[in-house]
Amino acid sequence: MSRNGSTSVILLTAILIFSATRVMADDTGSPQANPAPASAPAATKPSDKPADPPPSITVIGPADAHGVLGRDVRSTTGQNMGRIVDVIVDRAGSVRAAVIDFGGFLGVGSRKIVVDWNALHFGAVKGATDNITLDLTQDQVKAAPEYKEGALVVVLGASGTLQPLRFSP
Amino acid sequence: MTRPSAAGATEQHPSAQSQRGLDWFIFFLADVQTGFGPFVAVYLTTQKWTQTEIGLILSIGGIIGLIGQMPGGAIIDAARSERLVAGLAVATIGVSALGYAAWPIFPIIALAAILHAAASCVLGPAIAAISLGLVGPNAIGERLGRNARYASLGNGVAAGVMGAVGYLLSSRVVFLVSFLFAVATLLSLARIRDREIDPEQAHGAIVRAEPDPDATSIFHLLKQRPLVVFACAVFLLQFANAAMLPVMASIVTARSSQWAPALIALCIIVPQALVALMSPSVGRKAQAWGRRPLLMIAFAALALRGVLFATVNDPALLVAVQVLDGITAAVFGVMIPLIAADVAFGSGHFNLAQGIVGTATGIGASLSTAFAGYASDRFGHSVAFMSLAAVALIGLVVIWTIMPETRLVSVRSAKPTSLQGH
Repeated sequence: MSRNGSTSVILLTAILIFSATRVMADDTGSPQANPAPASAPAATKPSDKPADPPPSITVIGPADAHGVLGRDVRSTTGQNMGRIVDVIVDRAGSVRAAVIDFGGFLGVGSRKIVVDWNALHFGAVKGATDNITLDLTQDQVKAAPEYKEGALVVVLGASGTLQPLRFSP
Repeated sequence: MTRPSAAGATEQHPSAQSQRGLDWFIFFLADVQTGFGPFVAVYLTTQKWTQTEIGLILSIGGIIGLIGQMPGGAIIDAARSERLVAGLAVATIGVSALGYAAWPIFPIIALAAILHAAASCVLGPAIAAISLGLVGPNAIGERLGRNARYASLGNGVAAGVMGAVGYLLSSRVVFLVSFLFAVATLLSLARIRDREIDPEQAHGAIVRAEPDPDATSIFHLLKQRPLVVFACAVFLLQFANAAMLPVMASIVTARSSQWAPALIALCIIVPQALVALMSPSVGRKAQAWGRRPLLMIAFAALALRGVLFATVNDPALLVAVQVLDGITAAVFGVMIPLIAADVAFGSGHFNLAQGIVGTATGIGASLSTAFAGYASDRFGHSVAFMSLAAVALIGLVVIWTIMPETRLVSVRSAKPTSLQGH
């Protein structure tokens, strides 16, 4: 996937910057001159400096957790509700809502609408092609306003009420 | 202004095999192109691409498709074998389809999108050039009508086949199907006999006893008033037309959820079916009545459609309104290459003329989506549709007041004294 590609590019750049700074650091004799780029490759490349503590590692079984981007969403009665194209996180870091691309035919007339994260159920998601279940029907979500970056986000909850997601700057 | 008449061209009788080869070439090529249309965004979403990356890919393709129009036409004008260039372009698109299916990573998809857009810029003019090279300027109207029919049939069949494949199998398989269609396109192209395509005629050139550097210069073509006026008209057409169906479809999705996909499907199929039915008679009528009446009908239908979209609320009636879309699409599908052929006749720059009109198409279409999106957010859908209808009305006035008739005097009906045209 492209994300892996860009990650490895970033990693490679970081390693290059790291080795460059190390050469420079050896020249100047102050190893702590630029510690910021050193933190990224510290886990992969051991160095003679005092190493950062290793990251904690959590291992999740293949059937226990999955990515959601691009995954199909169905209503409880099996209606096609589109697929997840984005996830909305508030500034406290909690996941508030998911953006689903809903409706249309061959990409014409589809609308991006936002549904409450709590209205989504992931119990059936065991493999790559399993669907997410949404507590809403097509009729309930059809009139929702279109999601636009930078505008008010109107989140559809399972009870059918609309609540704005707002933050003071 | 002296314009050469069609008398400079020789009567041609291409074989039925070449004509049918061209039919199938256009049919399968429309199939291939459909795979690259709506399925790209869906496919990349399932491959966990973000909306930003998908938007970037679509913009890259759009920009190449816009700036490549004129160079694409110039390449065809310079080519000695339209068939060879078209074959290379189709092969490029086939490889791009495989690239999409095999490696959905950013560099590969970006490269495939660029190659596909560039190859498409060449293929549009190539089809018209092969047509003109095969049948000559006297029968080109009828041939272009036939082209539009097969393109429309191809689009319809591909939408059905690929929609089913995407639904039943996966959107990745859609690109493998596109690749298979590309192979079929190449096989059909091989059926067209290269020696029956007159290269001079395919470029809109005529055999002259002595070279005429003035008539064959590019600047002479660019100074042609009908070409400039027609490019403006096509710009207005696209500005009014391109956003109409998408905006209407999103309204249908918001109003009737359960039937929305079926209704939108009908709104796409109805005009395609009409284009397939009407295009050949549009080609014949263009020869009989001239170009201007048909262009005016097309713009009037478009303006009426905008007004009806603004006022009609019943989703079922919206499908009926799409009949008007079919009329506009049938007329312009034939008229764009036909008028380019009229204007560029004798210059040898037929395909560059098509590229100029194609550029106007691209600019109009992209401004249309941006404008209609803004207008419907800000002032509501009715205002957006009425503004698009107003633009169509301006197009109608432009055709009515300043667009000259471009039909060439036929070699069969013209007397020798009228060979200089008008």
